[in-house]
Amino acid sequence: MAHGSGGKATTELISSIFARYFDNPVLAKMEDAAVVPGAARIAMTTDSFVVTPLFFAGGDIGKLAVCGTVNDLAMSGAAPKYLTCGFILEEGVEVGDLERIVFSMAQTAADAGVLIVAGDTKVIEGKGGLYINTAGVGFLPEGDFEVSSSFCGDGDVILLSGTLGDHHAAILSARMGIENTIQSDCAPLHGMVSALLDEKIRVRAMRDVTRGGLATVLHEFAAASRKCLRIREDQIPVTAQVKGFCGILGLDPLYMGNEGKMVAVVAREDADRALECLRSSPYGKDASIIGEVVSGEEGTLLLHTRTGGIRMLTELYGEGLPRIC
Amino acid sequence: MPGKVISVRGTKAVVDFAGNRMNAEAGLVAVKPGDSVLVHAGCILQVLPEDEANILADLFAELEDL
Amino acid sequence: MKDYRSFLKEYDGPLIRIMEICGTHTASIAHCGIVSLISSRIQLISGPGCPVCVTVTEYIDRLITLSLTPDTVVVTFGDMIRVSGSRQSLQDVRSEGGQVRMVYSPLDMIGLALAEQGKTFVFAAIGFETTTAVYAALMDEIVHAGIANIRILTSLKTMPRVIEWVCSMQGGIDGFLAPGHVSVITGSDLFLPLSEKYHVPFAVAGFEGEQILIALYALVKMISHGDGKVMNLYPSAVTAGGNRTAQNRIDTYFEPCDAAWRGMGVIPDSGMVLRSEYLEYDAGSRDLFSDHSHHPECRCAGVITGALKPQDCPLFGTLCTPDKPQGACMVSTEGSCYSYFVNRRNA
Repeated sequence: MAHGSGGKATTELISSIFARYFDNPVLAKMEDAAVVPGAARIAMTTDSFVVTPLFFAGGDIGKLAVCGTVNDLAMSGAAPKYLTCGFILEEGVEVGDLERIVFSMAQTAADAGVLIVAGDTKVIEGKGGLYINTAGVGFLPEGDFEVSSSFCGDGDVILLSGTLGDHHAAILSARMGIENTIQSDCAPLHGMVSALLDEKIRVRAMRDVTRGGLATVLHEFAAASRKCLRIREDQIPVTAQVKGFCGILGLDPLYMGNEGKMVAVVAREDADRALECLRSSPYGKDASIIGEVVSGEEGTLLLHTRTGGIRMLTELYGEGLPRIC
Repeated sequence: MPGKVISVRGTKAVVDFAGNRMNAEAGLVAVKPGDSVLVHAGCILQVLPEDEANILADLFAELEDL
Repeated sequence: MKDYRSFLKEYDGPLIRIMEICGTHTASIAHCGIVSLISSRIQLISGPGCPVCVTVTEYIDRLITLSLTPDTVVVTFGDMIRVSGSRQSLQDVRSEGGQVRMVYSPLDMIGLALAEQGKTFVFAAIGFETTTAVYAALMDEIVHAGIANIRILTSLKTMPRVIEWVCSMQGGIDGFLAPGHVSVITGSDLFLPLSEKYHVPFAVAGFEGEQILIALYALVKMISHGDGKVMNLYPSAVTAGGNRTAQNRIDTYFEPCDAAWRGMGVIPDSGMVLRSEYLEYDAGSRDLFSDHSHHPECRCAGVITGALKPQDCPLFGTLCTPDKPQGACMVSTEGSCYSYFVNRRNA
């Protein structure tokens, strides 16, 4: 493939695949930069995606690239508006795979209500690897809205938008040759966030639950807020299949990555309404109140276990390798 | 956690753990489809009883004597 | 016995030290928060039950050498790749071109070997009696199928002699939580001679929180009465005599040998190795005894035998953490130090 070097082949690839699926008025102009309306305060973020395999149960690298960046914007309270996407393709990438991925990105972007306004492609030597970078811009609401991991206060309530471990389990299942119907939960979260903001829920902190899992996120909240957070094992939703998968490999869902779940810490009086907001979204149907900020040692996260004991949770160490014996 | 045997062929079995299917070695214990089994590192080590109630009752009786 | 939970929480008698000698029990105790449910006068000690933890540096070094040998692939369980030999770990050598692959089951190696018949596949065969049964099943498969490109490098350990070592060295353990899966294979009678000789009780337990609490209750009761007996509290999976087929299969391929335990030295008759008639499948397992702890202050030996708590080691939490482990106790997720660290156990 002699692409990405500005010649005819590049234009062909762009016009045949990218422009067809990412079609919008901004991109159609094909200028060097996209000129778009802005807002008084914007949020910006970028992330690169290198997952293998490229296609997995419930998603693909393209869907991941859109949702990952959309969710980073949403977690700051911004409404995601524009994305860029840069592709780095190694020689040997199947054009059919590229087309599927681009189509998936276009669908996910449409579902999320964002426009892909700029893009770039480079081709390098290699063995068919495919990597995507997305950068995103979102509009922050007017006023002084601000969330921070350091804003958790006494009595605040912790909510989780759904089941843990699905994405991580879906990826690992493929690699370990374990057959199941676990799907990655890759999904955009800003629908739930705007529901929370529309209802004037007093959100202190929120974060999507990605690498390192729920325990890592909540531990950061506890440390930044200098509070003690306590969650209940029997309130944390995990599907039976993911639980079974974890049992086989000796993994802990509290430390596994998701791609479509968020945690929010809200004022106690707003907790029930906040739960309704999350459950109003198809991506939050299993949302649950899982714990609260309690008095205790600063910077600690406690788990009330199913057995009735207390376990202290730290952030993730290592890569969470499956146990033996 | 126990798994459920789905099928057996020679020394190989397919075992289901709450919807996760995997191959397991079945050479150390006689198994048949429907059995509840203990699996370790991909090998079936024991067939487990379906009904644990009586076993636990006996256990508690023994502990009462302590 | 109905209120065994209150009994355990309110126990106010003489200080009791109970040792668990199974990595999975260590993990379950932490996972369920058991320590928070029992009196501080009942102390739980993690013994030498983690197969990764007790592997000597020479064994790791041999695996590293094999991984760098042309047309040779080392196949292993996940936890092993982070344990250091005298200089580096299998994970380190991967970035230098060492051929190392991770599997969930040793049986998975057969598929790998059949797919690449020009290469020799060597399994890092560590474990106690439970996993030895799995290796025996593996040997059955490869011998009957005539697979020529598989070897195993063994560091197999057995329970009785090391428990005896603990009893004879320490004198401070009042009772044992006996390993659940080992007992499935060996039978709970394995512990009878030890309980009689040292007058200590053993309780074979499962891995659910409730099962562990019940076993602790039984042990405290037996200790208080001075009973030195073996109770099988995992009868759904464990019998007195164990799995005879598995025992016979193990006996077909393996025989007892002296074994070196990391930080503890050689304990006679505490290991297993392939019988001489199957030596063609062995990758050089006999006499791997050298053990060089690469930090002089590492106290894994003391931790493993219950002489020290993880937090008593000078390196714990400072020079030795899960991110940069010194000894094997911190590497494996079943290791005492790892478990204590990530669960911030203070007792």
